[in-house]
Amino acid sequence: MTSEMQADRSAQPESVPRHEDRFIASEELARLVMRTAGSHLQLARDDRPYQWSTTAYCDTYDWAIYRAAVAGQALRLRFREYHRTRPDEAFTSARVWLELKEDTVDMSRKERFEIAGDVVPAFLRGETDLTDASGGLGQKAAELVRAGARPVVVTQYNRLAYAAPDDRIRITADHNLIYLAVPWTTNSDDAVPIRIGPILARETDVVIEMKWLGELPAWAEELHGYLRQRAPADRPSKFVVAMRHLLGEAKS
Amino acid sequence: MTVMQNDTSVVVVEDDPASADVLQRRLQANGMSVSVGRTGGDGLALIRELHPDLVLLDVGLPDTDGYDVCLQVKSDSATADIPVIFLSARGDVFDKVRGLSCGASDYLTKPFHPAELLARVDAVLSQSRRIRSPRLSKPAESAPVGRPTAIIALTDQGRRERAELILGPKFEIIAAGAEGRAVDLLLVDGDASVASRMGNEGPAVLRVAPAGAPMSPDTVVLNDELARIADLAVRERELGRDVDAAADALIALAMAFESHDRATAGHSERVASRAVGIAKALGLDAASCQTIRVGALLRDIGNTKLPLGLVRSRSELTLAERKQIEQHPALGQELLAPFRPLARLLPMVRSHHEHLDGSGYPDGLKAPQIPLEVRIVAVADRYEALRIARPDRPAMSADAAVQILQQCVQRGELDAAVVAALATGVRGHDRGEAAGA
Repeated sequence: MTSEMQADRSAQPESVPRHEDRFIASEELARLVMRTAGSHLQLARDDRPYQWSTTAYCDTYDWAIYRAAVAGQALRLRFREYHRTRPDEAFTSARVWLELKEDTVDMSRKERFEIAGDVVPAFLRGETDLTDASGGLGQKAAELVRAGARPVVVTQYNRLAYAAPDDRIRITADHNLIYLAVPWTTNSDDAVPIRIGPILARETDVVIEMKWLGELPAWAEELHGYLRQRAPADRPSKFVVAMRHLLGEAKS
Repeated sequence: MTVMQNDTSVVVVEDDPASADVLQRRLQANGMSVSVGRTGGDGLALIRELHPDLVLLDVGLPDTDGYDVCLQVKSDSATADIPVIFLSARGDVFDKVRGLSCGASDYLTKPFHPAELLARVDAVLSQSRRIRSPRLSKPAESAPVGRPTAIIALTDQGRRERAELILGPKFEIIAAGAEGRAVDLLLVDGDASVASRMGNEGPAVLRVAPAGAPMSPDTVVLNDELARIADLAVRERELGRDVDAAADALIALAMAFESHDRATAGHSERVASRAVGIAKALGLDAASCQTIRVGALLRDIGNTKLPLGLVRSRSELTLAERKQIEQHPALGQELLAPFRPLARLLPMVRSHHEHLDGSGYPDGLKAPQIPLEVRIVAVADRYEALRIARPDRPAMSADAAVQILQQCVQRGELDAAVVAALATGVRGHDRGEAAGA
């Protein structure tokens, strides 16, 4: 049986080139950056300040999504939840955000769906219809599901985010970032919630992300330059880092 | 007034010697035993070793920060129930929220008044004791004579007396912690935390639903039915022990077969121990761990039906010989199938050489058809096999063996989370050995 999912109205597909830089910063540097961001931008409440974000990333049995992400082009399939204290299970919430995010060399697109936590297995069995998702993302996601995509890694962190009202610039700081494995056996049953773990690695520093559309305002340009001088900016995405730890490709 | 039990143990993780000294003397003066760690690493080691009643944790530490220490305490199932209070000079709301969201019970800003510290310690300990299970003394070796024994650990006195009236005719009611007594039944509040034991060890545990709540699959109600349900629970536990005894006999047979080969003697024990370690790291419950342990011990029992010379051959096998060896999972299943209570072990016996990508044997199963316990036994078996010297290669180091298994994960043969759990255990063990040295 096929059912439809409701797209989140607040999430817009990004069809213009979006810039994204990621930095690993010390606690002190992160505080300075967020204080500056806070004086120009508004606190983004959709990221639930200092609550725990738990994001489960999917991949296929031949790691097709990870391989494509390393090459710089991938459709990422992930489920996000928010909790006040850190859960040791995924899909415990009544509402879960299913996110489809596609990065190419030229642009980034994202579609977000709000679904019930217990619908996740049905989605992974291919029983839900995402074909209405704009730009063909739903179709591509359905192909990944047919190829056996299932949750393989989880990240958990506390996020503080500041964003412009039109969301053209967004600066986030992720503390307490933890990468975990997911002992997911099969997409064929209804076994949610699922226990997550073991812990693959912990990030001792803070991950700062700057995302913007078009030109940066002067203050942000200055902040960006300051960050580039003081923090490594060649950090891969959380998904790629988590997968490197999972597959033993990260230097431990 | 602050009243503390004399056996209350506290670990203080504080890098400033003067602050640590003041805290230690203050707590000791109130009847607590105190151990101090000066770094996050020292503190974690003390917490894991002592399993204290409470941890007082500074945020700023020389080797890491208190948030990370708290996360590690709360991420480890062995220490997750220990309450943590942060002591910090950082008084920002973000710091407090961050500390509490890491799982701490309280956050106290320095400088603090000693009375406030003791009041908060008292409150956290009281809350913690309400939700932690009563500590049972080790069961006696000898079986009890006469009626089965029961401990009634309900917090409400009225409900406790009612339970004693109901169970009294069938059970001998004994006090929690009664020295040298075996316990058959433990009656606890529905929300109580009870330390889990492996398989059918320890008493049968019944959880009593709150007053007015209906009976659920997980709880019982304080009424006349309770005596019958308790009796059944104790009998079920005894039956489980009988099944375990049957499994033990088969394990003894498999071990006897293995012990005649010096090259593989003790291998199954190591595989079983490794498999249980992985299962625990994946958060599986005690009953699943016990099933996995027995399945791992019996996984190669089919070898007893193969020619002895073939099983113990140290030279390279011909294709025909390899095909014959690859029969052992199916032969093992044949051997165990008549023992119906052991049915839950059969997938581990038959499928522990299957690969997630379908390239394994005997059935060429693919990932969705291979249960988690089978994946765990397969990884433990492969790892321990790599650690043994073979005619064609020397024994591998732990790191090298893990790397080979990670390559198997990349090829799609083994389960990534299971290998990650193995790697975590191996690395943890190495770190422990290094610290011990």
